[in-house]
Amino acid sequence: MHLVRTGHTACAICHIPSTGTTTVNKFIRILWQTALLFAIYQGSLWVVRVTGIPVPANVLGILVLFCLLLSGVIKEHHVNEAATFFLKHLVFFFVPVAVALMNWGEVFYQYGWVLLAAIVVSALLPLALVGRLAQYLQKRKDRCSN
Amino acid sequence: MQQLTLFFYIAFTLGVYALVRFLYVRSKNNPLFNIVAVSAAIIIAVLLACGITCEQYEPAKDIMTILLGPATVGLGLPLYRYRKLLRQQAGCIAMCVAGGALLAMFSAALIAQWGGLPHDVVMSIMVKGVSIPFAIEITGMYGGIPPLAAAFVVATGTFGSLVGSWFLTRVGVANPLGRGLALGTVSHAQGTAVALMEGEEQGAMAGLAMILAGIFTAAFAPPVVWVLQLLS
Repeated sequence: MHLVRTGHTACAICHIPSTGTTTVNKFIRILWQTALLFAIYQGSLWVVRVTGIPVPANVLGILVLFCLLLSGVIKEHHVNEAATFFLKHLVFFFVPVAVALMNWGEVFYQYGWVLLAAIVVSALLPLALVGRLAQYLQKRKDRCSN
Repeated sequence: MQQLTLFFYIAFTLGVYALVRFLYVRSKNNPLFNIVAVSAAIIIAVLLACGITCEQYEPAKDIMTILLGPATVGLGLPLYRYRKLLRQQAGCIAMCVAGGALLAMFSAALIAQWGGLPHDVVMSIMVKGVSIPFAIEITGMYGGIPPLAAAFVVATGTFGSLVGSWFLTRVGVANPLGRGLALGTVSHAQGTAVALMEGEEQGAMAGLAMILAGIFTAAFAPPVVWVLQLLS
């Protein structure tokens, strides 16, 4: 992970200087930053519920954090450690989610091969298309600008 | 007693995750030790062997995924760090993700339709490339089954994260931008999580692709449904 950056700045929100990078200090900072991320997510949930816009709360939350960072309301070091930690372990959350697939075993059993083909083909084709196309376009653009 | 079993489920899930992650890192990121697929398979096998149903495991799942929302919001940070690349490649990114989302919808729905699946299952599988809240929203509008759509979303995400990195290398995509966009477009947050393990740029691009794929899928749904009706 390249996200890890040991900051030597003081955290403006929790007023804990991070120069003494003890584990306890770091833990407290992560807690604070998690609370901040949690607040952004809850705010997004609320907005989605009240306005009824057809956008998932987590997507809105990403855009909100992005805009807050762009506008400078939130600085990178206000969320850096918690975001780094959670993104590093983002796969963990999908373990219990994937366990729920066991309930749908019968549907998959019933339509087995067709579903398998549909899922495999519709994953591999776009993977190749998007990957190759993006690579091609970026190379061409780089050549043009040089 | 109930709290105790709940605690046990969570501790067990964490333990399996830690073990598989350790093996994955130890084996120098061998795709065979795909964290989500292998961990889930082990847990499902143990639950089945002990006669525990998915409903009994559900409360533990709900507790463990409380932080999924806030954790996903954290993607705003890598997106912000790569804002320059994002501005430079805006057109390329939009075009690639739009093409990928369209191809994913068409190929999935067409195969399902040709395979003789009922209409509601076809409508559920059509939206499988986006994150669950998007999928539930879109599939409901076209007569799909939301919980089934959610299951397809998870199946696609798990499959994409299982073979995605390996397959991209096989088809010769080395460019981090391309790898990230592809993983995010096809396998939403699960692909993004895998992209993040490859590197920060891949992760940022995957997160962006996931957002765009959701929006494009919602926008493309009406014409895709129309063409499917013509072909049926």
